[in-house]
Amino acid sequence: MSTVLAQIESQIAKLSSKAVRKNTGVITNVADGVAKVEGLSEVMYNEMVAFPGGVIGIALNLAEDEVGCVVLGDVSQLKQGDEVQTTGKLLSVPVGKGLLGRAVDALGNPVDGKGPISSTEFYPVEKIAPGIMARKSVSQPLFTGIMAIDSMIPIGRGQRELIIGDRGTGKTTIAIDTIINQANINRVGLASGDPKFRPVYSIYVAIGQKNSNIVRTIAALEAAGALEFTVIVAAPAADNPANQYLAPYSGAAIGEWFMENGMDALIVYDDLSKHAVAYRQISLILKRPSGREAYPGDVFYLHSRLLERAARLDGKGSLTALPIIETLAGDVSAYIPTNVISITDGQIFLETDLFNQGIRPAVSVGLSVSRVGSAAQIKVTKQVGGKLKGELAQFRELAAFAQFGSDLDAKTKAQLDRGSRIVELFKQPAFSPISIELQAVTIYALQKGYYDNVDLKKVTATSVSIREFFKARYDALLTEIRTKAALDKDLEAKIVAALDAWKSTHTA
Amino acid sequence: MAAVPAKIRAYAKQLLQLSLDEKGAVSAERVAGVLAYLEKNPPARFPLVLVAYRKLVAAEIAKGEARVEHAGPVAPAALDGIAAALGKRYGRAVTATATPNPKLLAGLRVRIGDDVFESSVAGQLAALSAA
Repeated sequence: MSTVLAQIESQIAKLSSKAVRKNTGVITNVADGVAKVEGLSEVMYNEMVAFPGGVIGIALNLAEDEVGCVVLGDVSQLKQGDEVQTTGKLLSVPVGKGLLGRAVDALGNPVDGKGPISSTEFYPVEKIAPGIMARKSVSQPLFTGIMAIDSMIPIGRGQRELIIGDRGTGKTTIAIDTIINQANINRVGLASGDPKFRPVYSIYVAIGQKNSNIVRTIAALEAAGALEFTVIVAAPAADNPANQYLAPYSGAAIGEWFMENGMDALIVYDDLSKHAVAYRQISLILKRPSGREAYPGDVFYLHSRLLERAARLDGKGSLTALPIIETLAGDVSAYIPTNVISITDGQIFLETDLFNQGIRPAVSVGLSVSRVGSAAQIKVTKQVGGKLKGELAQFRELAAFAQFGSDLDAKTKAQLDRGSRIVELFKQPAFSPISIELQAVTIYALQKGYYDNVDLKKVTATSVSIREFFKARYDALLTEIRTKAALDKDLEAKIVAALDAWKSTHTA
Repeated sequence: MAAVPAKIRAYAKQLLQLSLDEKGAVSAERVAGVLAYLEKNPPARFPLVLVAYRKLVAAEIAKGEARVEHAGPVAPAALDGIAAALGKRYGRAVTATATPNPKLLAGLRVRIGDDVFESSVAGQLAALSAA
């Protein structure tokens, strides 16, 4: 027996006897998810600190005699007098392809019950955005699969396009549609074996949302087969504000891994209004001075440093950001909306009125804009849909005017008729993105007057019928449109022939 | 616990500066002098000043006191060695006091000021279980 003990003792003796130095402090106060700590004289800003029981915190306020730490976990376990240790590490999350198809919390821990995440690499949650030299201008398209957006407000890879609107106007739906469309494109592209094809991986960050909504989103992605290309970062409403504050940065870190490793990624922040509210709560509890609407002074920097991390890097990949902002009663001039509008490269504005009229997606063409996306638009979309935005704007003006007068000249009537047909054409159900080649065919048919003899109420159904017809019979033609990405005479003739074939079979 | 007002904190800090000798260590003589002065000229919110002053002096003293927790015997020479090594590291006179702590299983844990030097089996096991 004594030999066994000797063995253990020798093992103990072998254990490194090197002393580990740790800087410690003592909790003096815990309230509202924030712990005030005395000591921690060597703690760094944004450093992870370890509370007893494996709870992690971040040092956010470094004062002369105390440190304010937000607690990322169960606060109920902590009490006054508990020892806190520095870790010497900045907060990091696991990154990599192992996260695809998974739902994680703000710290990268899995929350979907599918077991541990196979990831060996970690990225810091807070990182300075790429500088000027590392960047490249946006020139590659990112198709949302929504006709109204792809033809009039195009988005490019590396762009930041804000989705803004009141509650219940379909903001999340546009983001989910875009994610589903990326998955559809990925599947086609990967199956084609094209070495130049660059898949787009998606990250959906849910901030302060109801858990039931997150479950519904995951279910929608799963049903569309998009979950395998998507990472969900969830900081639901029940999560503490510190996690809600960190979740977008964690998502950005996950997206940056794809960007840094030569891949393209899309990140959706749903939504940044709630993010600002969570940050306001933390700031008020930390007793930082409050400014307009009680938001702290650095609420602009909060979002600018996050959105600047979306970029297209020279020689590497890209990270496209679709932040979402919820407005109250359509007020885009509120504090947080104007902040984010000024940071992003354009916005998609959704209107309650349009939504209630049944125009869905309820994109307001007049107020929506894409500042860099047109450089990324492919030629075929420009050829078929270049004038649509102007025509629609004219239509809106005339429609308001025509309400008062009954006698209209033939030209105005024709413009009104065409405008209402465009509006009908852009109606699209949720979670059914349309591929860019089918969009081109649909709009080309409009330009060539294929909907002119159709009853206005049947325009949407007719466009669906055209797409079904092309999908069923002209797969090769669609592939040709996609690969050529521009219309020439030969291609146009082929499309016209196909449309004529459709017309002969179609009965309105 | 309400925060001590900044003015009182600053005043207490000044008092602490007065309590240090030429080498930067807290001197009993000077503390006695400071206390005598305060008694004669009590500042506003005297008790609060005293509490803040006590806290600063305690923290200052803790920086020069190594509390060595140990499981098993520790030779006085080892304690002196620890005190000398820490004194060199922090650039001030350090005294070491030993307290037995069987929960460490084996090895030492030294606390000085805010810092903890962990070299115990219990600490290593905790690190292992956390990993």
